[in-house]
Amino acid sequence: MAETAQLSDEFIRQLSAVGEVDVLVGIPTFNNKDTIERVVRAVQIGLTKYFHRDRCVLINPDGGSTDGTPDIFKNASVSDFEIMLTSNPLRTFHRVSAPYHGIPGKETALRTLFVAADLLRAKACAILSPTSLSVTPEWVESLVRPAYRENFDFVTPLYQRQKFDGLLVKGLLSPVVRAAYGARVREPVASDLGLSGKLARHLLDKKIWDEDMTTFGLEIWMTTTAIVDGFKIAESFLGPRIQPTPQFGQDLPGTIRQVVGALFKCLEMHESYWPAHTGSQALPTFGFQYDVALEPLKLSTKSILDNFRSNIDQLVPVLESILTPATLADVQKMIALPDRQFRCPDELWVKTIYEFAAAYHHSAINRDHLLQALTPLYRARVSSFILENAKAPVSRFDQRFEELGQEFERQKSYLIDRWNAKAGGDR
Amino acid sequence: MQSDPLWYKDAVIYELHVRAFYDSDGDGAGEFKGLTYKLDYLKDLGVSAVWLLPFYPSPWRDDGYDISDYTGVHPAYGTIDDFKSFLDEAHRRDIRVVTELVLNHTSDQHPWFQQARSSRDNPRRDWYVWSESPDRYKDARIIFTDTEQSNWAWDMSSKSYYWHRFFSHQPDLNYDNPAVREEMWNVMRFWLEMGVDGLRLDAVPYLVERDGTSCENLPETHDVLKFLRHRLDENFPDKMFLAEANQWPQDVRAYFGSADECHMAFHFPLMPRMFMAIKLEDRKPLVDVLQRTPAIPPACQWGIFLRNHDELTLEMVTMDERDYMYDEFAKDARAKLNIGIRRRLAPLMESDRRRIELLNGLLMSLPGTPIIYYGDEIGMGDNIYLGDRNGVRTPMQWNGGWNAGFSGADPERLYSALISNPLYGYQVVNVESQRRSEHSLLSWMKQLIRVRKSTRVFSRGTMEMLHPLNHRVLAYVREFEGEKILIVSNLSSQAQAAELDLRRWKGTVPIEMFGGSPFPRIGDLPYLLTLGPYHFYWFRLRQL
Amino acid sequence: MKDVVLRSLNETFSKFGDMLLQFLPHLFVMLIIFVLGWFVAIILKFLTRRIFAFVSVNRLSKDAGISQILSKADLPPAGDLFSSLVFWVVWFGFLLIGVDALGVPELQLEVGKFFLFLPQIFVALLVLFGGLLAANFFSRAALLAAVNANLPSARVISGFVRFIIILLAVAMALEQIALARSTVLITFAIAFGAIMLALAIAFGSGGRDAAHRMLDRMFPPAEPKKEEERAKQEEISPL
Repeated sequence: MAETAQLSDEFIRQLSAVGEVDVLVGIPTFNNKDTIERVVRAVQIGLTKYFHRDRCVLINPDGGSTDGTPDIFKNASVSDFEIMLTSNPLRTFHRVSAPYHGIPGKETALRTLFVAADLLRAKACAILSPTSLSVTPEWVESLVRPAYRENFDFVTPLYQRQKFDGLLVKGLLSPVVRAAYGARVREPVASDLGLSGKLARHLLDKKIWDEDMTTFGLEIWMTTTAIVDGFKIAESFLGPRIQPTPQFGQDLPGTIRQVVGALFKCLEMHESYWPAHTGSQALPTFGFQYDVALEPLKLSTKSILDNFRSNIDQLVPVLESILTPATLADVQKMIALPDRQFRCPDELWVKTIYEFAAAYHHSAINRDHLLQALTPLYRARVSSFILENAKAPVSRFDQRFEELGQEFERQKSYLIDRWNAKAGGDR
Repeated sequence: MQSDPLWYKDAVIYELHVRAFYDSDGDGAGEFKGLTYKLDYLKDLGVSAVWLLPFYPSPWRDDGYDISDYTGVHPAYGTIDDFKSFLDEAHRRDIRVVTELVLNHTSDQHPWFQQARSSRDNPRRDWYVWSESPDRYKDARIIFTDTEQSNWAWDMSSKSYYWHRFFSHQPDLNYDNPAVREEMWNVMRFWLEMGVDGLRLDAVPYLVERDGTSCENLPETHDVLKFLRHRLDENFPDKMFLAEANQWPQDVRAYFGSADECHMAFHFPLMPRMFMAIKLEDRKPLVDVLQRTPAIPPACQWGIFLRNHDELTLEMVTMDERDYMYDEFAKDARAKLNIGIRRRLAPLMESDRRRIELLNGLLMSLPGTPIIYYGDEIGMGDNIYLGDRNGVRTPMQWNGGWNAGFSGADPERLYSALISNPLYGYQVVNVESQRRSEHSLLSWMKQLIRVRKSTRVFSRGTMEMLHPLNHRVLAYVREFEGEKILIVSNLSSQAQAAELDLRRWKGTVPIEMFGGSPFPRIGDLPYLLTLGPYHFYWFRLRQL
Repeated sequence: MKDVVLRSLNETFSKFGDMLLQFLPHLFVMLIIFVLGWFVAIILKFLTRRIFAFVSVNRLSKDAGISQILSKADLPPAGDLFSSLVFWVVWFGFLLIGVDALGVPELQLEVGKFFLFLPQIFVALLVLFGGLLAANFFSRAALLAAVNANLPSARVISGFVRFIIILLAVAMALEQIALARSTVLITFAIAFGAIMLALAIAFGSGGRDAAHRMLDRMFPPAEPKKEEERAKQEEISPL
């Protein structure tokens, strides 16, 4: 049974008033006053439109916002139901505020939601990011339905992304998950997802909650744990994804440290699972996929190419402790290429990532430092990718990523070898 | 009988079908003599008024609502004297009698119509609504959708169309004709002078038609009602008009006028929402409809009910609500009729005693005069294999013996088959068995009615809705002349806790009305109540 | 005359013989202690090596960057080195005990002083080891941080950090063994102060722009400058 010691009395009171539910939707927030209202209204309409006979609740775990986000959450409403819908909703719409104290992190927010799902015996849950500018009521249906009506346990989203958006996910996270865990999850770090009540309860019982997994780590952990523990996973198409000006742009090293670190940590956690599997399966997909003409991003090649070369150069002493001499030589050769010919081939990229993963596992150097050392290499890879595909159509992209995924799968045995090699064996 | 112009406010009305109640002459169908015998039962039950379905001469193609003689009694039910004797006996027991007045239409067998159709020049021609083409009044909806395709029917004899909002054998009277109004007033006077206490005005929204309208609730219709009411007030001050207007609350409001039309009107939209609230386990449908119910003149009263002789109408709900009700309550498609569900209370509640009690508790505590349908006080079942709405008009089950004690005739001669299945059959569900047990539904209903009548708060009081956080608990306070009653009902199948904000009544002690136990005094803190599944409390809030 | 010389020689030799006879047992004891000590030292060296292998000290020292230093100096790896050190220290200790057994009071005094000195050396070595570890860690951290923040001459910064920390560690170690205490202290203070001053001047005047940019990054202004804006536009979201 779930630990409820951390839930406030008020929260428990509100939960008891709600009672058993069929669908639970959660929006974790921290200072999101600009975008939260839209998301709440979309959820309200979505629930009324698609789940009007079912018992639903919308919960907002808030990590101590100082900009009035919880009040906006409470008061956001759809005043003209008749315009949006054909009828008045059958049931009372439940909205529960759950402020929590302590570090405003995803762990506590998600834990709160899972505990609520457990207490309310929810059959299906959906978690939505409070910052999506492109959220629609249909997102609720897309994320909940596979879990609620089709017996899936974990529903990851599929976005219609801008051309070079999300390269870390597409170029590193997703293919590694694909190769290691055998499931082609295209968005393993999504902040919009759906779960069955069963999975929520299962995750709640795991010991992860006491460790420090940080924001993105938790999503990767959920995805990989769902795969490893045999839950049914599906993808659901949501549509275009537009976030407010990216916050990560100014902290790429931090992002990489968190996300890739979490990925490697998961590989360690599940090291009894992934070496045994080969190949990968595509996941069942829900929703009608469509292409939307999105604004292309403006990029200047010069500024992309400048940075990483000197960076990599200066990091050679650190990289020596991580990469094999052969790989390091290849990297140095690569950065010596002139601008026009600059390419980071898939093979090299995959090898690099796998060696990093193995080095992480062996703690060849301090893990934090190891992940930081990855940043310029990632930049190199991104530059290469952009140069190569600057004028390519979107369909070519899908093909490229498929090729990349296959390369990751092809070299999986290399990863296993490096992973199991004795510490210091490369010296 | 004591004279009391507001008797209908404090009444508990019992709706019954003379044919279905008790057969004393062995012809297989009930009549007035038999009904008279059973008046003691009704007295014992505690009801204070009886509403009789039409008993007038009629070809019986719409179970008596197609009338062919307004001032007679159908021979199958007895004679006028039988009726008079029934009336006297009822009054002797302080039971008032409400009969039907089908204003809107007659049977096509009525002499008036026979005359009207015989030729275009007949003086009665104008008593009905005729047209050369069926294109007039295009915007009027069809009510009996299962059987009728149009509101016009072709008359062979006079080669023209006549207007009928209901069955085609029920031509509508023409209320634009003053003669019609006068004649209907005469009919009314006939019965009221005899001693009848109230008249249910059947199908009252449809009296007048006008082109380009829905032909419902027209101002001219209200004028007719005002006219009749005026005459009534002049001659019979303590008689009552009960309007049957299946409309949204704000449209029904018009039938009260400014206390110059009908005294009472049925609250149709409330009824399906009571069922919905229990199924959804959410008070929202009830709270919504009560909020949308407009205030009515002080002398007027809503008539509330759970079931009646018609199908459980779903006309006054949204499409989503209708689909929900069909899916939950009419899983067998046979149970659907027109736009409704033709089942009795007990089968709708899956013979769950607790839910039946809860609904009756709501019926007796919500604002309005409660109307009980015959047989529901013992939890009678229904027969959806009978045609039309006959499944809910089966013989009253008096005991477990011959013909359920309804009639001494051969079973094959009965006007309708008895309910005889092992769950609802007369062997199991009957008055005699339930009379013998203090814990039967019948005994409980008697107690419920007794408690209801013990105070005027229910019948005349205001209502203030409370909003506990727990949406499965419905709570409201009724108040009248300083007396306050708190009603709390658990709409869900699971035990619930609810915290009520009762600070306005701080300092009072709630006394539970069925058992008399005092509960803790109300203080500043939210008042915590716990309720079992489908359980309800009635508390008298006393200053002690 | 001959007799006197002979008798004197005889006396001297017999005295010497006596002294020798008196001394020999001590000598034997000393030799025995030497041999015993050798055996104990060997055993301890073996044990130490085993323990260190168990605790994988080699990896730790690799982390501290010691291995690199050692290999550059053509010395054996840290674990082996340390176990050799243990051997020598233990045997030397026994040697000293043996010398002490000779019973020469002046020597005994010196031996005593030496034994008192031993813990200091140990602590100093520890401080040095810790300092080397820290220097490696922080210099690498600085390198990575500087590289990822796109600061120029990241390597210089990293080397500088390493230098400072090692300097600090050496100074602490020297102070620990009380070797020219005041000298070391003053020298260190002067050197450190000078470096800091130089840095301040360099940073303040020469690195004005870089400093400005770095500060901007740490405390972003309300309206980003044009180039910042351009940089932001071009930064694509990785997630």
